[in-house]
Amino acid sequence: MHTWRQRMRPEQIRELSLVGLIVIALLIFGWQIENFLSARTFNRITSSVAIVGMVAIGQTLVVLTRNIDLSVGSIVGFTAYFVGSQLAANPGLPPVMAVVLAVLTGGALGLVNGLIVAYGRVPAIITTLGTLAIYRMLLINYANARTITVDSLPSWVVELSRQTIFTIGDFAVRPLFAITIAAVVVFQFVLAYTVFGRRLYAIGSNPEAARFAGLPAQRTVLAAFVLCGMLAGMAGFLFLARFGNITAVAGQGIELESVAAVVVGGVNTFGGSGTVLGALLGAFLIDLLGQGLLRWLGISEFWRDALLGLLILLAVASDSVILGWLRRIWAAPALRAEVSNEG
Amino acid sequence: MQGAPVLEMRDISRRFGSTQALAGVSLRLYPGEVHALLGENGAGKSTLIKIMTGVHQPDSGQILLDGRPVRIGSTLEAQRLGIAAIYQEPLMYPDLNVAENIFIAHAGRGPLVDWGKMYREAEAILAQLDVRLDVRQPARGLSVAAQQTVEIAKALSLQVRVLIMDEPTAALSAHEVEQLFAIVRRLRAQGVAILFISHRLEEVFDIADRITVFRDGRLISSAPRADVTVEQAIRDMAGRSVEQLFPRRHTVRDEVLVQVRDLGRQGAFHGVSFDVRAGEVLGFAGLVGARRTDVGLALFGIAPADQGTITIAGQPVRITNPRQAMRHGIAYVSEDRRGLGLSLPMSIAANITLPTLRRYLNPLGLLRRPAETDTAEEFRRRLAIRAPSVEVEVGKLSGGNQQKVMLSKWLNTRPRLLILDEPTRGIDVGAKAEVHQMIDDLAAEGIAIILISSDLPEVLAMSDRVLVMREGRQMAVFTRHEATQERVLAAAMGQRDAA
Repeated sequence: MHTWRQRMRPEQIRELSLVGLIVIALLIFGWQIENFLSARTFNRITSSVAIVGMVAIGQTLVVLTRNIDLSVGSIVGFTAYFVGSQLAANPGLPPVMAVVLAVLTGGALGLVNGLIVAYGRVPAIITTLGTLAIYRMLLINYANARTITVDSLPSWVVELSRQTIFTIGDFAVRPLFAITIAAVVVFQFVLAYTVFGRRLYAIGSNPEAARFAGLPAQRTVLAAFVLCGMLAGMAGFLFLARFGNITAVAGQGIELESVAAVVVGGVNTFGGSGTVLGALLGAFLIDLLGQGLLRWLGISEFWRDALLGLLILLAVASDSVILGWLRRIWAAPALRAEVSNEG
Repeated sequence: MQGAPVLEMRDISRRFGSTQALAGVSLRLYPGEVHALLGENGAGKSTLIKIMTGVHQPDSGQILLDGRPVRIGSTLEAQRLGIAAIYQEPLMYPDLNVAENIFIAHAGRGPLVDWGKMYREAEAILAQLDVRLDVRQPARGLSVAAQQTVEIAKALSLQVRVLIMDEPTAALSAHEVEQLFAIVRRLRAQGVAILFISHRLEEVFDIADRITVFRDGRLISSAPRADVTVEQAIRDMAGRSVEQLFPRRHTVRDEVLVQVRDLGRQGAFHGVSFDVRAGEVLGFAGLVGARRTDVGLALFGIAPADQGTITIAGQPVRITNPRQAMRHGIAYVSEDRRGLGLSLPMSIAANITLPTLRRYLNPLGLLRRPAETDTAEEFRRRLAIRAPSVEVEVGKLSGGNQQKVMLSKWLNTRPRLLILDEPTRGIDVGAKAEVHQMIDDLAAEGIAIILISSDLPEVLAMSDRVLVMREGRQMAVFTRHEATQERVLAAAMGQRDAA
């Protein structure tokens, strides 16, 4: 009985089942929808996952510590607009500087969140709900009803969403998607192999145990929010590159999409378990279902949000029900007689 | 004993997955009898209780109430049949008052509450138990003992005939245990059948009329108390003979490692002074509320002291957070494994290395996971942690094994002073013996140990010296051979030592 079931950790099961669901969805949609498995669909999904996935990495870091960042959509919008207007004003700005500017802008906004949550001890959901509105207000004021247009941007920015790095069959991998994949790889590694990553899990799964172990909880939570802001800033840059036309409503709704990706991806909302790979797969599955159902059933775009909500609820329900059930199965053979739960 | 049994369990079996939790167990409960159930964790006691109270259904076997077969499908049905259980941590509605908590289960008395009648009846029930408790007082802030009394009153209001008490004394002080036992004796006199479960043998032998021992889901022995000895009961539980409960070697060295003078924290404790030598076990005895844990937390910097001095190896130190404490070689194994000590979703290895992560960095600043695994494997072998692998989540382990992971985690900080706060609470006899052996081994290695325990025989058996506290004050320090149960208890209860 000492088989893979005991060796596998719940998040690995979750990641495998997400891959399974993605494959099943691809098969069904490919069979039912004409031309679904096309380069165009792939491009649409990867472009959109590039942005949501990037935000979801940061959201994962924050959720691991038992917090949440609802302001990421506003950070994406603010950064996209701010960097866009800087690029429009100084077309000669080097690409690296533009990216650094985006990341620092997002990081600064994340710093505000982190300071309020970690040191002001205001619950994250309240704090970031507040900054969601405030950052959006800053953007609206700053934008003053103007729009950044594709034409005003240097051509290299817009090209990022059109170039091809390499192709797999008919499917072209764009730079935006590649950047996000790279970030996922980096942060998957950070979570698994750094002291910071381990602290995120420890603080989220048992804050008191973390305190007894002498971990600097406040600093770690602050760092999670700052990183989340930086990644949202990076996503803002990707947003700018993908759409080119930026208005004051840019990025609205990304907070919901990122939370959905994280939760569907198996990151425990009570902190302590989950991976960024899971969050990326979650983002992928959600977008795939969105695209597929839209075309298959011909439903309107407005159903997307309802679909997101439904997936979040399903994911949380399956978390508590299925994982609880799996744990009981595991527990039985490994530790005899613990089932009756004595003592 | 006398007459017909009120409740009879006949040949009850129950499996969970591959675990046979109960195998053909038969048990009779008679009115007016206190029937004690002994057994290690996993022996099947809780499963039996859950079957009696309708939480689980037996796979086979019969339940007879007054000689008639019954099916107990839910706790509600159990209550209707007159079977109720109270637990170590009573479930109260903190914002409702005592009377409301007593009558919470009485539905179907019409839509309106007759407050006057409810208070009168609640007072009558409490008077029947000879307990003074304001029925209008909210349950919030009641002591655990008072809450249990309310639970018993609740059971009485439901015309209880079989009362199951599952570890009711674990969180009570000695005085409160006496009061609880007075109530139990009164219930017995009224003809209630009582099933009493406790890990404390002295209590079982004090209160029980009949003692039954379970092991591995089977009934091993059942006999009137007069026919059972403590040694016999322990042998039956463990399935092997135990010659001596706690073997201790003398390992105290000359070197005074920690010197504490007049330590205090506002509102918690004051005037605590002691020395601990390398290789010495200093026991902290006292009743619940003696504030022993606060002294431990002050030494570890969680709730720093604001008076007095701490000297470690001759150097005066200030300890204001756990990091400093660890730097001075102090480790604290907390009482509450789940709440304070372990991260349940994380692996055994990750839990063990948490306070010492910096030790596992390679030159690039990345964690060397194989090294972490090695450390964890080493502790798994050394402390005999039962788990399929060190990558298993700690949440999947049993209490005793979780406790060993806790110990491993703090031993891995290589402490000079190890503070153990209730290291054996809630773990089974076998695991307890292993912990005791470990304490002895650690002392032999020269580690100074502060052992905080509410289990008096444990403190007396394990300690080289015993410090007794009462309500935040240090009452006495006894050497090993001065420390008798009577003297320690007398000090803990505020009697100045005559000797």
